[in-house]
Amino acid sequence: MILTFLRIACLRLRNNPLELLLVFVMPVLFFSIFAMIFSQGIAAGTEKPVRLGLLLPEGNVAAAELQSELRQNSSLICTDLGVLPTESEGRERVILEAQNSSRYDLLLLLPTDFSTAEEARFQVRLVTDGQNAMAVAMVRAILEEYYAVQRVEGVVEKLQDAAQAAAEVAAAAAERALPAVDDPEGQGSFFRDPVSPRRVFDGSGAPASVESELSPVAAEQPASVLDPPLDSAPGMSADVVDVDTENLLTAGPEPQISVDNPQAADQQNPRIAMYAAGIAVLFLLFACTGHAATMLEEAESGTLDRILVSEAGLLQIVAGKWLGIFLMGCLQLSVMFVFAEAVFRIHLWSHLDGFLVMAGCTSAATASFAMLMATLCRTRSQLQGTATVIILSMSAMGGSMIPRFVMSDRMKELGRWTFNAWALDGFQKVFWFQSPIESLRPEVTVLLGSSLVMSLATLLLSGRWRRGL
Amino acid sequence: MTQEHQPILTLQAVRKSYRGRAALQGISLQLFPGELLGFFGPNGAGKTTMIRCICGLLKPDEGSISLRIPDSFRGSRASRPGLVPQNLAVYPDLTVQQNLEVFGRLEGVRGAALQQRIDEVLDWSALRDRRRSLARTLSGGMQRRLNIACSVLHRPAVLLLDEPTVGVDPQSRERIYAMMQELTAAGTAVLLTTHQLEEVETRCDRIVVMDHGQIVADGRLPQLVASSLGLPHRVELSFQHACTVELRDFEFDEQRLTAVCRLASMQQLPGVLEVLQRLPEPPQAINVRSFGLQDVFLALTGRSLRE
Repeated sequence: MILTFLRIACLRLRNNPLELLLVFVMPVLFFSIFAMIFSQGIAAGTEKPVRLGLLLPEGNVAAAELQSELRQNSSLICTDLGVLPTESEGRERVILEAQNSSRYDLLLLLPTDFSTAEEARFQVRLVTDGQNAMAVAMVRAILEEYYAVQRVEGVVEKLQDAAQAAAEVAAAAAERALPAVDDPEGQGSFFRDPVSPRRVFDGSGAPASVESELSPVAAEQPASVLDPPLDSAPGMSADVVDVDTENLLTAGPEPQISVDNPQAADQQNPRIAMYAAGIAVLFLLFACTGHAATMLEEAESGTLDRILVSEAGLLQIVAGKWLGIFLMGCLQLSVMFVFAEAVFRIHLWSHLDGFLVMAGCTSAATASFAMLMATLCRTRSQLQGTATVIILSMSAMGGSMIPRFVMSDRMKELGRWTFNAWALDGFQKVFWFQSPIESLRPEVTVLLGSSLVMSLATLLLSGRWRRGL
Repeated sequence: MTQEHQPILTLQAVRKSYRGRAALQGISLQLFPGELLGFFGPNGAGKTTMIRCICGLLKPDEGSISLRIPDSFRGSRASRPGLVPQNLAVYPDLTVQQNLEVFGRLEGVRGAALQQRIDEVLDWSALRDRRRSLARTLSGGMQRRLNIACSVLHRPAVLLLDEPTVGVDPQSRERIYAMMQELTAAGTAVLLTTHQLEEVETRCDRIVVMDHGQIVADGRLPQLVASSLGLPHRVELSFQHACTVELRDFEFDEQRLTAVCRLASMQQLPGVLEVLQRLPEPPQAINVRSFGLQDVFLALTGRSLRE
């Protein structure tokens, strides 16, 4: 008898292309949209360059140098928006037009007297529309770094000047008092050709390396020549003269920062599986509730009475409906994950056991939830309204809409009261953390436990179907 | 008493209450093989509760409901009544054939027997040509026929129909009644709940009127009229001026401008008309009408609005 109910569910689904579309195609479509967004955005580990609009004063050398520096930064896409108008009204109009065009994440404005000199005040204006907070932080860091480097170069130049003056004084004194000292080969030219350091922003927010542009001659010098021991130079002048600008800027080993995620080491994009689960559970809840609503339809039309009068008992009707919803849920999840595997390579086949466990438990819980909702509600419209509110709330709190890792601890704790959270945690363990199947015990216990409780409640309350609506 | 005259269905003093409100107050009723029983009453009279009790969906608080299956139905699954709800109680997304298949299976009919029965029912309901059409695409009359067809696949001894002809055209209505006649001819007892009084008058073998959870009338139409209204025919006269002549059997109003007479038979009418012709001032208008189920119904249940 239960098979007859399964047959009814299959036939209804097969004869109804719109329902097929809603159950199997819509989730895949939504998932694809989410996956494309995240696979080319934050989830892929590649950041979109910041679009920076430049409004610079005319004929300002320091501004031109900064512009040149910013253009070399691969994290930025710099666009010249022309010369910054001097009058306030024109300036604000240009800013407004640039912002309204939505072509820039950030605008950089430099005053006409912009300078990086030590005695001058480093003045930069960044204009944001507030949409890209990361862009502000990134450009601010780049500018601060640029300013710091300029200041260091200023100090170095001063030191060089002082050292040269001291050397000249010492040489004059030596000429008077001592025999001539040989000038170390090439050192003079090195001092006259100061290092021009350039730091490269690698997009991760931290400086990955520091590069220095050395003259060809200096670059070929052995370390001992570039950085001779203090006592190797003859006389006191060696201490004063031998200042190495490269060492000032690259003191210590070059920083190397690497990021490892061993649990997802062999996956292209492990978050995709989590988004697949998130979307799948959301649509699963809607599909299951919609399917359970047929019980109310049947009650309203009298079909349920006709069935109750037949050989099928109430227990068989409820069990048959539950089984139909459960199998449809399993199929829906399978379609979603097979698609995700085909297009986004989520490694479904190597995690098949974990997937089957989670798909089964999640479908069981959602089927029981849907049946309980149908039993509690009086009409289909009441069910749709109530279920929509509950499902959307559960999905928002449980991580189907917003990843749980961006939520506060309090919200994460609240999310524990939803199916979505437990289901997503389970799928995350399987596909992202690649945990063994035994680790799914908490999720399986909660999902199957809640399914059992809700099924029992449904059976207890299902007597209402006999009494009529 | 021959088997045909023994009731298939017997309700004995059935009582049912919901939250202290009595829906059935001691209903006793018998339904005989091959009988088409018209069952009606105002909304909220307790008809649905009674049908749910007969179907086994509700358990009576008191009394008994018994079913005695005639030998002609032995071997079938006739002990479960067939139920035809008022709404289209089939799956609109399934074809005619698929609906018959699944409801047949739910009634326990399977395999070759089911296919044979589906063929018979398709012919009986004149739906063979539309067997592959989705139920939702059928006309109203076809849907009604399918609704009935899905309930007889297991050859029930008792068929309960709730408003089977609502919203269908005269042709479909005729077809539905022809289907019911075929069923009763085969010995099935049909209990028809309807508000289509003229259909009950003309088509049903017996009429039961229910109100306030009780059966207030049970019999053929003349019996009901006689028991509730007295003589079944009424002659009404209207005069332009006050009538000065005394007419036997007529009751006048105070101004003697109108008069009413009740007749036991229409055969008495020519004699009455002859008397009226002899009057010095004949009546301005003569209105003759026979009492119908509507009059019986209103006489028994009153004119106040129900639920």
